[in-house]
Amino acid sequence: MKTLSEVLRDWEAVIGLEVHTELTTLETKMFCGCRLSHEDDPNADVCPVCLGLPGALPVPNKEAIRSIVKAGLATDCEIQKRSMFYRKHYFYPDMAKNFQTTQGPVAFCMHGHLDLEIRGQGAAELPADAPEDRRASTPSSAMNAHGGTGALALDEDAAGEGLLTRTDDGYTVPIRILRIHMEEDAAKMTHLGGSEGRIGGAAESLIDYNRCGTPLIELVTEPDLRTPEEARLFMEKLRRVFLAIGISDCSLESGSMRCDGNVSLRRKGETTLGTKTELKNLNSFKSLHDGLEYEICRQAQVLEEGGVVLQETRHFEPARKRTVVMRVKETADDYRLFPDPDLAPFDLSDDFIESCRAELGELPDAKRDRFEATFNLKRADAEALAADPALASFFETAAGAAARGAVSVANVLLNVVLGQWRAAGEDAKSSSLTPAQVAGLADLVAEGAIVSAQAREVAAAMAETGESAEAIVDARGLRQETDDDALMAVVEQVLAACPDQAAQYRSGNTKVIGYLVGQCMRACNGTGNPKRFNELLRESLT
Amino acid sequence: MRSFDELSAAEIAAGVAAGDFSAEEVARASLDAIEAREPSIHAFLQVTEELALERARELDRARAAGEKLPPLAGVPLAVKDNMNLIGSRTTCGSRMLEDYESPYTATCVARMVEAGCLPVAKANMDEFAFGSSTETSYFGKTANPWDVERVPGGSSGGSAAAVAAGEVTLALGSDTGGSIRQPASFCGVVGLKPTYGAVSRYGVVAFGSSLDQVGPFGRRVEDVALAMNALVGPGRDPLDSTSQDCPVDFLEHLEDGVRGLRIGVVSELVEARGVSAEVKAVVYAAARALQDQGAELVEVALPHIEDSIAAYYVIGPCEAFSNLARFDGVRYGYQEPGCATLAEQSEKSRAKGFGAEAKRRQMLGAYLLSSGVYDRYYYKAQQARTLITRSYANAFEKADVLLLPSSPRTAFKFGEISDPTEMYASDLCTISSNIAGNGSISVPAGLGRETGLPVAVQLQGPAFKDRRLLTFARAVERAFEGECAVAPAFAGKGGELA
Repeated sequence: MKTLSEVLRDWEAVIGLEVHTELTTLETKMFCGCRLSHEDDPNADVCPVCLGLPGALPVPNKEAIRSIVKAGLATDCEIQKRSMFYRKHYFYPDMAKNFQTTQGPVAFCMHGHLDLEIRGQGAAELPADAPEDRRASTPSSAMNAHGGTGALALDEDAAGEGLLTRTDDGYTVPIRILRIHMEEDAAKMTHLGGSEGRIGGAAESLIDYNRCGTPLIELVTEPDLRTPEEARLFMEKLRRVFLAIGISDCSLESGSMRCDGNVSLRRKGETTLGTKTELKNLNSFKSLHDGLEYEICRQAQVLEEGGVVLQETRHFEPARKRTVVMRVKETADDYRLFPDPDLAPFDLSDDFIESCRAELGELPDAKRDRFEATFNLKRADAEALAADPALASFFETAAGAAARGAVSVANVLLNVVLGQWRAAGEDAKSSSLTPAQVAGLADLVAEGAIVSAQAREVAAAMAETGESAEAIVDARGLRQETDDDALMAVVEQVLAACPDQAAQYRSGNTKVIGYLVGQCMRACNGTGNPKRFNELLRESLT
Repeated sequence: MRSFDELSAAEIAAGVAAGDFSAEEVARASLDAIEAREPSIHAFLQVTEELALERARELDRARAAGEKLPPLAGVPLAVKDNMNLIGSRTTCGSRMLEDYESPYTATCVARMVEAGCLPVAKANMDEFAFGSSTETSYFGKTANPWDVERVPGGSSGGSAAAVAAGEVTLALGSDTGGSIRQPASFCGVVGLKPTYGAVSRYGVVAFGSSLDQVGPFGRRVEDVALAMNALVGPGRDPLDSTSQDCPVDFLEHLEDGVRGLRIGVVSELVEARGVSAEVKAVVYAAARALQDQGAELVEVALPHIEDSIAAYYVIGPCEAFSNLARFDGVRYGYQEPGCATLAEQSEKSRAKGFGAEAKRRQMLGAYLLSSGVYDRYYYKAQQARTLITRSYANAFEKADVLLLPSSPRTAFKFGEISDPTEMYASDLCTISSNIAGNGSISVPAGLGRETGLPVAVQLQGPAFKDRRLLTFARAVERAFEGECAVAPAFAGKGGELA
């Protein structure tokens, strides 16, 4: 099979995502008062409504509506004041009523977008000759090929301005969101005694209705994505936005956020869409990328061998990095969608929508821009810090406490502290370091009083003892000599002792400077700053 | 000694409150009447003796403790068997739910019991309320107390027959296309279909969710007013998002009379093909009687009314298909034993659990909702619905209440109508107010001059003006006083109170 970059020389991949997010931060289910819990015993959190018992009726959870409106506002969607719930019928025991309550052509949120900034390695996946306007080649009429629920496209140019724009180290591109709709989750089924964990061969199937009726929002993108990396970044960014507005714990691992990918290929320059396949089991960012990568390469091989891509649902196997057929879609399923007569149409007021907007807080993009502008951070660093609300707030507190600027705080956080948290299984919320400690450490690094290798040692000691960076540095004698006269004396002593290396440097072998710095460090018992030694050596040798 | 079936709900409650008799004595009288009359009527699928006695004793204890009794204290109540009541089965007249016991009680039932009613029995019905004769019940037919060779109407036939036979004083029914008003008319009792949303549907097994409405049966308009106070009094039901507040006292204007009010006669329905001469005669007699009491008669047209049946037989089956999808033999209800796969189990459980009419409606709905067909039928039916609702709105600018037949004819014999479409057409007079959602009531207006069977008139009012309907119904009742009571063959049989 060809590699991705080989394939994308001749083919254009067209990718759309369907992302389901459980609103885990709510207290109760979508249409009843049952508790939302992942830990309770099976079938402990059930009632006549979520069990679909005869006569039971749904009552919508207002907080869930708030959550989806916030999701829509955070992704620049148009909030639809008038929308309603529909019934989607299919016979399977995970849905107690044998229909799922979901939305029809008009969802609470329509026509939004999320702008991606793609830098470095990932940007290289997109060929240099890729078209700048993706909308022109995937008009909304393409919806039926890629839409999640057979929804109708209502408005063609709602995604705002935005073409692909090349930047110094990559490109930016807006990805249109077709809709975000509200629905209820199904029960969890466990099949025992079968070889494949499917109902077909199982001796027994167990159903846990605790999850049945969990509020779920489904986001459907337009088929605007062109590389696996774009898909991965879209998902990462969406997750950051949803975390920031607090509507879900967004765990890909536990499945509270899950993603299906639709992908098709077409020859470069074509404007009609090829036959798509739908990928399941993309339950990590890596799987999302690798699954799409494999599938693009597989489809290219099929097409180049003169075959046809079948419209089918495929399962990604991360261990073997391949996709296998789950089921072939010969005909479209007929879900007999019709408006749910038990749920009156919604008529959201401006006040309601504005009160949702007021709760949004600062979104990751705005935070990144502010960090970049206010603290003079590199854009990538600003983005990394803004990604997690707890980390961002930790950073801001530490930056406020630091005497020698926020850039050093950002560096220490991203290069030292994050690694330590990861190793200790901590994060910004559960950190054993305080922002004040980190600020102190960042100041010492900024002064050149310690080097970054020592910063790791100091950070570990701070976490252990709770003491300040300064106290630890002094107690352990780690402080570097920062007085240039003292350092210059060492440099002169070393140059006098190493005339050969000095001559080599002068004759153009600048690599030898490393040896000389090492000699300086040895001469001062490690109390000097190697960076400053390096500078002083260069000055002395020219 | 006198038979409890002579007493109105208000008289029973007053008697219990005054200590003339205990609630338990009333319960026993009702149970005695049931024992004596039920073999000929078969109005009930289950007599919930223990539940009735338990509630009665509770009320008697409350009285002994000096507490104020609720307004319907001690009034025997029958509940249609599509309404959940803890401690009883809810079969919906279907084999599918033959042994089904609900773990919760419907709001409407709970409110009646809270208001003092004794839940005496669960009443027979057409399977899942699909029918107009109660003949589609899996558990056998119910006889019309006025002529046991005839149907009581349907689908709430058991509820109507029980009240007409004097087995209970009040009954609850549900009306999706006339299922309260038509049996009320066949059995000579009062039956009200309130405005959609006035009474909670929570706990009532759904047939057509946008059409279904719960309402009471009684032998007197006043009893129906008391039942409505119990059903809507506590305010909208937070468990039914289509329910609305309806803050009125239904007794307040009951005796106001109709002087100066306008009654609109819907000639196109009175003169419609299939309406019998005796029914026509009764409607015109009622119109004259109302005129004599000071009402003004006006002619009213209801354009598009003839589309009601078509719209109904699209919307109803679509919603029924969806609502009945949950009966698959997996969690509860009839389950075919020994099946190898889930699909086989569901198919066979449904094939054996549902009767012919239930299957017919679900298959119709499954077809009408399928892609490519939906726009031509369901969508069109909704458009028709809008037009019909508008017709009513125009009519109510000219008239305060409309007058029309409850049914084109009096009760027919068992098996007399075997063609489903002919049976569907018999709903002509009632269906439109389910389509539009406004309230309507069937009030007995004497006996037919040809058949000698009860004939009723139907009054229809604007949405949420159900109290006005009762004022008009009381005026009709006043005009025909003495002719509507317990069916003569059963009056006084068993059920004596000291």
